[in-house]
Amino acid sequence: MLEIADLHVRYATAEAVRGVSLGAEPGRVTLVLGANGAGKTSTLRAAAGLVPVHAGHVRLEGRDITRRAPHKVVRDGMVLVPEGRRVFAPLTVEENLVLGGYTASRDRSRQVLARVYEMFPILRERRGGPAGLLSGGEQQMLAFGRALMSSPRVILLDEPSMGLAPTMVESVLGAVRDMADAGIAVLLVEQNADMGMEVADSVVAMARGEVVFAGAAAEARSNASVLRAFLGEAALVG
Amino acid sequence: MSQWFVSHLILIQGTFISLLLALSIQVPLRAGVFSFAGIGSYALGAYTAAILTIRLQVAPVIAIGAGVLLAAVVGYLLALLVARLSGLYLGMATIAFALFLGVAATNGGELTGGPTGLFGAISTLTTAHVIAVTLVVVLLLAAGERGAYGRRVDAVREDPQLAVTLGIDVNRVRRRVFVVSGALGATAGGMYTLLRTTVSPETIGFHLVVTALTMIIVGGSLSWAGAAIGALIFTWLPTVLQFVGEWQLLVYGLLVTAAAVYVPGGILGLLQSGWRRYQRSRRPAVRPGAAAAAAGEHEAPLATLGTPGEVRS
Repeated sequence: MLEIADLHVRYATAEAVRGVSLGAEPGRVTLVLGANGAGKTSTLRAAAGLVPVHAGHVRLEGRDITRRAPHKVVRDGMVLVPEGRRVFAPLTVEENLVLGGYTASRDRSRQVLARVYEMFPILRERRGGPAGLLSGGEQQMLAFGRALMSSPRVILLDEPSMGLAPTMVESVLGAVRDMADAGIAVLLVEQNADMGMEVADSVVAMARGEVVFAGAAAEARSNASVLRAFLGEAALVG
Repeated sequence: MSQWFVSHLILIQGTFISLLLALSIQVPLRAGVFSFAGIGSYALGAYTAAILTIRLQVAPVIAIGAGVLLAAVVGYLLALLVARLSGLYLGMATIAFALFLGVAATNGGELTGGPTGLFGAISTLTTAHVIAVTLVVVLLLAAGERGAYGRRVDAVREDPQLAVTLGIDVNRVRRRVFVVSGALGATAGGMYTLLRTTVSPETIGFHLVVTALTMIIVGGSLSWAGAAIGALIFTWLPTVLQFVGEWQLLVYGLLVTAAAVYVPGGILGLLQSGWRRYQRSRRPAVRPGAAAAAAGEHEAPLATLGTPGEVRS
C-alpha cells in the first residue's frame, strides 16, 4: 500500500533521515517508535510531500509519489494528521470536517460525514460550536475525523496522544485501531511505546535517522528490553 | 437629498474609491497574505486609464478595463515572484513594488508626464458608474466569503500548513488573491483618475498604503464589511473633525492605535461579538458548556490537556 524505500531527508545542517525503509498495509497499524530527533516526524512529513526528499522513494499503491506536491498526495489517497491537534479554531466543528472533504465530491462528503459522526458521536454533539472550544482529546478526534473525510486509504498520524491525559490517550489510540479495522493502512508515530504497542500490528523503531528494529508487534513486546536498549530509556517511559 | 448629494459629491466618490482600494488590501489579508500590491495596482490602473483616455480617447470602460487586466496579470507574476515570502517580508516587498511604480511614473518622460503627471483625461465616467461597479464588486466578494470557498480561504489564513495536508492548494489561493487584489486596486485607480481627469506621482504615493491599511485596521480585515466601515469613517472623518483643526492627524493616530491594541478584529469584529452576545442573551441555557466556553476562548482545551507530554520528552 504505502512503501517508503531508502528515504533520505536533509535539512541545512543535518541529515534527519538516513536510508529509512518502511511500509503500511491496509487494515494494519504500523507503529513507528523513537526518541526525540530520531527522524520519525521527518519521515512522515517527507512521505506526505511536506519536506523535500533528498533521496529514496515513496510509493502509494505501486505509484511513485516521491516529491509530489503535498496537496496532491491527499487526492492520491494518503493524508497526514500533523502533531499538536491542529484544528481551525474559529471555524465550527462541522466546518472543519467539511474542509477535510475538500477533495471529495459533495455527495461523497455528506456520506462520509455521517460515518465520521457515527465513529465520533461527540463531534456530532459539538458540530455547531467553534473547534477551538473542544477539549484536547476532542480536538484530536476532530483531526482524525477531518482526515477521514477525504476517504484516505493511507493515514499518517504524528503523535496523536501527545500531551493528552491518560484516559484520553486510551480513547485516541482506540480510534486509531478503529481506523485500521475499517481497512485503512495506518502509520502511527508515537513516543508512548507501551500504549502504542497495544494497538499496533507491527513495530518499526528508529534512532538517529535509521531503522534499528522492524518486526511484528508481538515480537517487539517480547523483546522489550532489546527495544529499550535501541531507543534509550526515555522513549519507553509512557 | 439631491442637494446634499451634489454638495458632498467629492466625499461620496471618495468613499467608494477608498472602499475599492481598501478591499485590494483586505482580500489578500483575509487569506493571511500581507500584501500591498493593490496599491501598486492602483498606480497601474490610474496611469493606464489616463494614458488610454488622453492618447486614444477610448471609452472609460476600455481605459479602466485595460488597466484592470494589466494589473491582474502583473499581480499574478508578482505572486510567482514573492511565492516564498510571507508576513512582514512580503509586506515590504509589495510596498517596494508600489513605490517602484511611483518612481517609474516620475521618470516616465512623455508617457507618464513626469513629476507633473497627466492632465485632461476627460471621459463620460460618472459617480453612478462608480457606485454601480463598487456594489457589484462587493456582492461578488460577499458571495466569496460564504460557503465552501470562504471556509477554504479561512483555512489558508488560519493554518496554511494544515490546509495543505487537507489537499488545499495554498499557493493557488495565494496567486488568486494577488490577481483579485490587482484588479481591485486598478479599478479604484482607473476610476479615480477619470473622475478627476488627472493623475500624478503624488496621487499614487505612500500615503495610499497608510490610508488603505488604516481603514482595514480600524474597520476589520476579515470581511468586505470591515473595509466598508473603514472607508466610511476615514473618508468622512475630516469633515467631522474640522473643529479640531491641525490636531486631526493626532486623532487619526489615536484611533488607529486604539483599534490595533484594543480591538484587533476592528469595528466589525466588535459588532460581530456584540451581536453574538446579544443572541446568546436572548436564548439562554442553550448548552451547559456554552457560557463557560464563552468566558475564556482557549481555557477549555488547556484545562484538559494535562502534562504527561512534558514527562516523556
